[in-house]
Amino acid sequence: MAKTIAQINEKIKAGSVVVVTAEEFTAMARTKEPGQLAQEVDVVTTATFGPMCSSGAVINFGHWNPGIRMEDITLNDVPVYQGLAAVDGYIGATAESKYDCQYGGAHVIEDLIAGKELRLHARGKGTDCYPTKEIDTYINKDVVNEFYLFDPRNAYQNYGAATNSTSKIKYTYMGCLLPSFGNVTYSTSGELSPLLNDPYLRTIGLGTRIFLGGTQGYVVWNGTQFNTAKERNSHGIPLGGGATLAVIGDAKEMSTEFIRAAYYEKYGVSMFVGLGIPIPVLDDDMAGRLAISNSEIETYVFDYGVDGHPAVGKVNYAELQSGKIELNGKKVKTAPLSSLSVARDIADTLCGWIKDGRFLLSEPVARFPMDSSVEPLRQRRAGQDASEGAER
Amino acid sequence: MKKRFALRFAPGLVEQPLVSKLVRAYDVDVNILNADVSSGRGGKLIVDLVGRTEAIKQSVSWLGGIGVVVSEIVKELVFNQDSCVSCGGCTAVCSSGALQMDREWKLVYDASKCVVCGLCVNACPLRLFELSMERGA
Repeated sequence: MAKTIAQINEKIKAGSVVVVTAEEFTAMARTKEPGQLAQEVDVVTTATFGPMCSSGAVINFGHWNPGIRMEDITLNDVPVYQGLAAVDGYIGATAESKYDCQYGGAHVIEDLIAGKELRLHARGKGTDCYPTKEIDTYINKDVVNEFYLFDPRNAYQNYGAATNSTSKIKYTYMGCLLPSFGNVTYSTSGELSPLLNDPYLRTIGLGTRIFLGGTQGYVVWNGTQFNTAKERNSHGIPLGGGATLAVIGDAKEMSTEFIRAAYYEKYGVSMFVGLGIPIPVLDDDMAGRLAISNSEIETYVFDYGVDGHPAVGKVNYAELQSGKIELNGKKVKTAPLSSLSVARDIADTLCGWIKDGRFLLSEPVARFPMDSSVEPLRQRRAGQDASEGAER
Repeated sequence: MKKRFALRFAPGLVEQPLVSKLVRAYDVDVNILNADVSSGRGGKLIVDLVGRTEAIKQSVSWLGGIGVVVSEIVKELVFNQDSCVSCGGCTAVCSSGALQMDREWKLVYDASKCVVCGLCVNACPLRLFELSMERGA
């Protein structure tokens, strides 16, 4: 019999909810049918902890006296986006310090979360209502008004694995790729990953309450590059890319255990974001989706040594997680880039919050579009039809 | 055996005949690879000490006793494991098997397998590896 989210929340409040992690659920599904699991389990927690470049934070610095209209802002020499009123700023995770390319927006965010003091410098042109032209001071997360994470694209549903056919090492956002197909890197938590457990986003939508960076956050839109037109396998899993989420949460309440700055050699700064989503086991269909196992989740292996990154193979996550895959008839070493051990901590933490009655599930306010595709940026004349002159 | 050391000393020790003392009293051969010594400013010597293990040990101990700061020059990997999130990025480039994921997907580092190739230094997105050239002797 189908359950509703309201019924599950009643069970959470009564302390009788049954919640397991997606890995535990998949293990249970080896011996039990989806129908039985839908009866026995109410909520399945999913999680991921990987580098997510499209992340950042909104900060309201508070007004200076006499006022300044901040038009050029840095935090520890990292540029902060200034085009938001007088004292609002947005610090993007991949922004780089003017003087140290290995320190960037992600480090600023991590340092603020850690409670550190950061140097704030700002200039304004000086106006009748905001006469101050320059300030140089220190802030921490307790002295600013708001400091919240707003990530335009997190939780990629699936992602292609990477390799390198050339004779030279390639330093990429997919890690160090050794020459001559010397290794393959991949970056999802497989059967524990949120959007692989609800591939058509039946239960995850606008307003869904989630675990974000160690505290409660929310899904606030579909992520950018949201793609539901991606080729899917027989289990409904998109083969690469796919859906994404825009998320928000109070960074003042977050922990550096679940938000960590990263620097990828010869690429730049990124940020590990810890994200977990509880999925209600509403019915047999959801139970079937949640039973997905690593061997059923497939992705392509792309050659980052060649322009356009052509696919050179197709693998599943059981193979990737085994440490070796076969590529062009040869065994190639594989390595993860997202931390499965931290993802497991997140899934367990979320289980605990729900069991303790501290976290209630939310009904999506609206579902995300299921007819969305991603287009490249093309050279075009003003007014030119989008399909005209398309190369592919 | 042969070991390489950096010897740093204060201005007061410049007048001491360190090298000949080592040769005569401890029976070690001293090969000076680099010397930066000046009166009134102190100095630094990079030396190879060649001799019996015990003799080298006594030499180092005597040098330390008279106030020379001695550090052994060894190339080794220093890993700040406390800050590691076990992403696994370093395992992509570690062919010696020193860096591996265990069954729980935690990173394990086995220093005895490390060949100090240094590839993990740039592969770690948290920059937790360093190649060290000296260690206190």
